[in-house]
Amino acid sequence: MKMQWILAAALGALSLPALAQDKVKLVDVVELSGAGATAGTNWKNGIDLAVADINAKGGILGKQIEIVHYDTQTNPGNSRAAVQRAIDEGAYAVLGPVFSGPIGASMQIAQRAEIAQLVGGEAANLTKQGNQYLFRTSLSQTAAMPKIAKYLKDTVKAGSVAVVWVNNDFGKGGRDAIIPELEKSGIKVAVDIPTEQGQADFAADAIKVKNSNADAVFVYLNEEESARFLRAAKQQGITKPMIGETTLLGAKVIELAGDAANGVKGHVGLSIDAPIPAFQEFGKKFQAKYNYASDHNGLKGYMAVYMVKWATEKQKKFDKKGVADTLRGATIKPSDEPGILMETTIEPNGDLDRESFLAEVKDGKQVITATLPKIKP
Amino acid sequence: MTAPATHGSATPRQSRIAALPASVDGILVTLVLGAVILWFAPVGMGRYGTYVLSLWLVMSIAVMGLNLTLGYAGLKSLAQAAFMGLGAYATALLTGKLGMNWYAAFAISGLITFAVGLLLGFPALRVQAHYLAFVTLAFSTLIWLILRNEQWLTGGVFGLSNIPRPSVFGLKLDGALAFHRFVVVVTFILAIALWWMIRSPWGRAFMALRENPVRAASLGVDTRMYTLLAFAIGSAYAGFAGALYAPLVEFIDPSPFSLSQSFFLLLMVVAGGSGYLLGPFIGALLGVVLPEWLRVVGSLYLIVFATIVMLLLIACPQGVSGLLERGWAKLTGKNNLAKTGAR
Repeated sequence: MKMQWILAAALGALSLPALAQDKVKLVDVVELSGAGATAGTNWKNGIDLAVADINAKGGILGKQIEIVHYDTQTNPGNSRAAVQRAIDEGAYAVLGPVFSGPIGASMQIAQRAEIAQLVGGEAANLTKQGNQYLFRTSLSQTAAMPKIAKYLKDTVKAGSVAVVWVNNDFGKGGRDAIIPELEKSGIKVAVDIPTEQGQADFAADAIKVKNSNADAVFVYLNEEESARFLRAAKQQGITKPMIGETTLLGAKVIELAGDAANGVKGHVGLSIDAPIPAFQEFGKKFQAKYNYASDHNGLKGYMAVYMVKWATEKQKKFDKKGVADTLRGATIKPSDEPGILMETTIEPNGDLDRESFLAEVKDGKQVITATLPKIKP
Repeated sequence: MTAPATHGSATPRQSRIAALPASVDGILVTLVLGAVILWFAPVGMGRYGTYVLSLWLVMSIAVMGLNLTLGYAGLKSLAQAAFMGLGAYATALLTGKLGMNWYAAFAISGLITFAVGLLLGFPALRVQAHYLAFVTLAFSTLIWLILRNEQWLTGGVFGLSNIPRPSVFGLKLDGALAFHRFVVVVTFILAIALWWMIRSPWGRAFMALRENPVRAASLGVDTRMYTLLAFAIGSAYAGFAGALYAPLVEFIDPSPFSLSQSFFLLLMVVAGGSGYLLGPFIGALLGVVLPEWLRVVGSLYLIVFATIVMLLLIACPQGVSGLLERGWAKLTGKNNLAKTGAR
């Protein structure tokens, strides 16, 4: 009898290391080619950084993370295939995509499989469809735009604003969110200019903005296009304040626009230049590993992995469905999980509530001028 | 596998025609066997594999249509993805918003694209080769702009979601396998229809149009009608593909119907073998399934994909079907004598 116990104990001891080496699989489905490649690559690198950090410290509940990246080609059909593949391969949670179209095409798959999907999308409509398994990693446009309108009214003191936006889901969503906010604040929309994704020449748009004589310009474009617009605006001699939301003040835009980015102001959801040591620390690590500065998408990807880690450790087991249940309505504090970088509240619909920042570009660097409180402090 | 009517002299053509009944049966057998295999193939493949197979078949339908316009009738069109978009949006709106039966929506999508193809075919009567390509390019951009900007109807850049799947005799096809089998059946019917058409006098008229329109006209072929028909039928196939694409992905936005996708469909026709009835299946396999297989090589997969396609087209300008045909001819020794004799 005793012998049997010893054998059982020995077997148990043998199987323990095997269990410990067992891995937990996260699948990142993201835009690594096509229109979303810049945002997607930052997101992917942020994830890789978080996974390396977590694995170096022993993983999640003793399990190492195995991360796989699948490219969506910024195409809805391919995104759906990739998310389906992730679920077939037994992913513990799905990270990405970042662009809203690919998210829209793939979110039902994760929902049906009851697996948490942490996305980088900011379009307002994503969290309005009652999907209990979809979580953002940044503020939505509906949360960010009222802050911009207030800033335009109180700080910039603009009576009229020219709105320049990119005609894709991201830009159109932002435009549809800011215009009612401007009207509510009594600010006139002097001119409403849609531009194309991947547009190279913004001279005509800059001239339209100049001729509108607006007190300020609200620019809501993707990274490369933002930089091109800023250069075109400078060439046309526009001196009115350029106001933006996160992307316009991003590292990539500042790098590409050069001098033309100086003086740009606006609201920033996540930034490696924020006056929070954890953000700056992340920025340094990212720079050291990839040799360029991360934009907000890098931070989003990094936080997404930590959101999964926090939820798993909170429920003390690897329960796929439980990740979504635990995240919904939770508040994650940096004191509990340093990797979350700043206190984050997850609304029941998957939206986030966080502090955010007002910033300005000075001498080719983003400088934070004020910290805005959470919407529901 | 049927060969396109060759550019050679009368000798090889006569030998082909003599061998036609046998090769035609070969295609029919391949189609039937293929359908049976694809009916059972996804068992144990998981939803992902099933989805990719379904996507492959749906794209094959669109490529079949383009193969008819380009491969058989020789009309260069850059609007196939736009026609697919028309079909997809028509089906999504009719079934999703108006609650119409999918079969009716499928038929209407085909009719709409047939009618629009007929209209677009008119400039095809007046302009040729790359000028026609430009006309279709303009049309493609126009459709894309409508899909994106008319938000009240098409959902604009946010697209249309929650597109319902059809049912058969009251059986819902929400599952991946059930819907895949449905796609197999529809693809099979459409492929058989095309097979029949190519063998009919219509098919010969299309090929005559491609090879020598003047001579075709002198032989009494109504070139005007056949040009329009080739365009319209090819477009209707894109519409049918769109009508399946919408419920397959259950979400559509303008991006899969942009100009670059039309180019991609054109690539599938050429890489698969333009003017071969089974070419579209091979082309779509290259375009849809190969990139998915190549995911194992990681972030370089699109570069590897592009290299394979380029090497393929350098090695064999007639596409994979042409390569297979050459290989087959070498193996059996058929046609070789005739070809050297002709030269």
